[in-house]
Amino acid sequence: MAGTDTVRILDGNTFVVSEDTGDIEATPSEPTGLFAIDTRFLSKWVLTVNGERLNALSYDDLQYYEARFFLVPGMATHYIDAKLSIIRERAVGGSFRETLTILNHDEKPVDLEIRMDAASDFADLFQVKDEILNKKGEIYAEAESDRLRLGYRRGNFKRETVIQASQRARYDRNGFAFSVHLEPNEQWETGIDVQTFAVGPGGRDLRMGLRTHGVERLALEQDLQQWIDKAPKVNSEHREVCSTYRRSLIDLAALRFSPLSLGGQTLPAAGLPWFMTMFGRDSILTCLQVLPFAPDLSKTTLRILGALQGTRFDDFRDEDPGRILHEMRYGETAAFEEQPHSPYYGSVDATPLFVVLLDEYEKWTGDVALVKELEAECRAALKWVDSYADLVGNGYIWYERRNTDTGLENQCWKDSWDSISYRDGTLPPFPRATCEVQGYAYDAKMRAARLAREFWDDPAFGDQLEREAAELRERFNRDWWVTDGEYYALGMDPDGRQCAVLSSNIGHLLWSGIVEPDRARKLADHLLGPRLFSGWGVRTLAEGEVRYNPIGYHNGTIWPFDNSFIAWGLRRYGFADEAAVIANGILDAARYFDGRLPEAFGGYPRDLTKFPVEYPTACSPQAWSTGTPLLLIRTMLGLEPHEGHLAVDPRLPVGMGRIEVLDIPGRWGRVDAFARGRVDLHKLAAQ
Amino acid sequence: MVDATTRFFEDLDRRGYEPLLAKTSGTLRFDLHEGAHTTHWLLHIDRGKLRVRQEDQEADTVVGTGPRLFGELVSGQENAIAALLRGDMTVLGDLRLVLQIERIFPGPPDARGPHHAFQRRAA
Repeated sequence: MAGTDTVRILDGNTFVVSEDTGDIEATPSEPTGLFAIDTRFLSKWVLTVNGERLNALSYDDLQYYEARFFLVPGMATHYIDAKLSIIRERAVGGSFRETLTILNHDEKPVDLEIRMDAASDFADLFQVKDEILNKKGEIYAEAESDRLRLGYRRGNFKRETVIQASQRARYDRNGFAFSVHLEPNEQWETGIDVQTFAVGPGGRDLRMGLRTHGVERLALEQDLQQWIDKAPKVNSEHREVCSTYRRSLIDLAALRFSPLSLGGQTLPAAGLPWFMTMFGRDSILTCLQVLPFAPDLSKTTLRILGALQGTRFDDFRDEDPGRILHEMRYGETAAFEEQPHSPYYGSVDATPLFVVLLDEYEKWTGDVALVKELEAECRAALKWVDSYADLVGNGYIWYERRNTDTGLENQCWKDSWDSISYRDGTLPPFPRATCEVQGYAYDAKMRAARLAREFWDDPAFGDQLEREAAELRERFNRDWWVTDGEYYALGMDPDGRQCAVLSSNIGHLLWSGIVEPDRARKLADHLLGPRLFSGWGVRTLAEGEVRYNPIGYHNGTIWPFDNSFIAWGLRRYGFADEAAVIANGILDAARYFDGRLPEAFGGYPRDLTKFPVEYPTACSPQAWSTGTPLLLIRTMLGLEPHEGHLAVDPRLPVGMGRIEVLDIPGRWGRVDAFARGRVDLHKLAAQ
Repeated sequence: MVDATTRFFEDLDRRGYEPLLAKTSGTLRFDLHEGAHTTHWLLHIDRGKLRVRQEDQEADTVVGTGPRLFGELVSGQENAIAALLRGDMTVLGDLRLVLQIERIFPGPPDARGPHHAFQRRAA
């Protein structure tokens, strides 16, 4: 995927990925371009001066929606005495705008031929890594006197890119050019506006009526400032905690995404750039992580996921009544049903987690109205858990895709093909079940029981849910406990055989509360033990397992988001010091990424590599990695809504010094929390 | 024989209430174009209460498509969101109403639903 020298800017799901010169020359190995609604609208955007390509002196990512490039003509070896400099400034916000400034430093006048080559392949986001040889529709380019129109047509499906410069230009089908005469020390400037259209019959745009969170640069700037002002302030003697928090807050702002159907309200998309869309699981888990800091995201996420909850059986989309969606896409492959994302429902954790989020959200905000508003959706979700998800009929959530062509094989968060295996490394047949999802189901029932009693006026339903939860807990502790290893199995096959490998999923079980208290100590020991804990964090799969690989996507790497929930789970069972160890390791790792935690990094032991080795991934920032520092701060400070108040019970490592979190919003208004590091990590490790 | 579209709207009108639309209020007009001829269906939703008329009146949302595709949408053979993305169905006005009404369209008639293991063994 796009290399590390690419520059990305975005607003909502419009984004630009370019080289460090600002040029775009898309190839399958360098999927650069201008993208909107899951479609590439520019695949070529190459600037030349007198036929020469330009070189980058430097670039700045000013904000997530704007960047600036300083360029000179000529090759790297002799650009030092360049007499010309070129500045490209660009921003996205609804459309894509670039300002081109050229300065003549020479004592002589110059005549310049400035040209931008422009083209688009209109690739679907799902195709950008492929050589696109047989687009089913027709690509066209029309040069008009004042604009260049690039388009793609397949039946009624039409996407267009319209390019217009503020200075007079000569447009042709492959780009546009300017002839410029510059006196000594004179400069020349033009604006270039690139608009994207999703045109339906009658010329109406698919997105018409949709407000994004601001289209003008100034509006974006104000919006970001408001977002930061509204969030709690974090001060610390530990400088990196502050900068990591600030980085997360800004990235979270960038990741806000306004789906077509929500009238401009936003929820967190999964990740930039390839996952700037709604994902049930990612959006819910991110909302849970950031609840103490940005509770509004939860409200919109719950509303939109509720509004798109499944209502019928659709095998292509793996849809069932009550099921919460996995992924929504707007591109050509979704439109022509070559991919099932309209939307796709193949996830088994989003549905119970939907209920979990609603309860947690109410505990923080006291927003009873939303709990009442979403009662029917919650009941439908719980019904799905008990009926359609129980494919084996033994009281667990199972999965087996019905869409065998393009559906997902593994429908849990570890969704790669080889993530669920037996101890001997072989893969189990379907249907499969994974442990953490049973924990989520337990938690959903317990939480829904509270909602039923307190807000739905249905204590009988509450009793029933608690009874079911207790039975699930008993059954789970009997069937999933791996006796010879003293932990819970990662997965189970339809004959009840355990996938008895040691994995990070046991940490999610602590978070869910399904773990019998007398077994929690064992789990904490495993999580902090040498097979799972690398010194930076908990590995997805323990060292020593057949499929363990320190850079195996779900078989040995460390996922920051996974660790944030593990830390929360440890605290839930009273292992505050252990939670602090994990928080400390992950926040230490964040320093190596300028405060922006990657999706995953290698599971190598910390004392071997000395720095966290980033997993080569396409996606950064990623929403649930961005949310991780926020949940870790919550966990270390022991922030917990309790009977209408905010309880604070800090357990910080000594090196953290003092941390204060000011203006934490909630049903209590706004309150502050203070903490000082007292946990001696070395002492703990020596125990 | 009555076509699928007529059956769909008559059924909505007869039912008079749809719990999936309990939080929805507004009017939708479906304009089914065939050559120069357009058939109109007007659906009033008032917090789940439904009323159908065959009238060309102003509405919060106007959906435009061909009668054949619409017949396939309301019988589950085609999917409305995909049709919208394809441009085969157009929407003017409040898109949210369309996404709400879409949820009461049936699934594909050949959908099997979840493969319960005990059913499979019995088969």
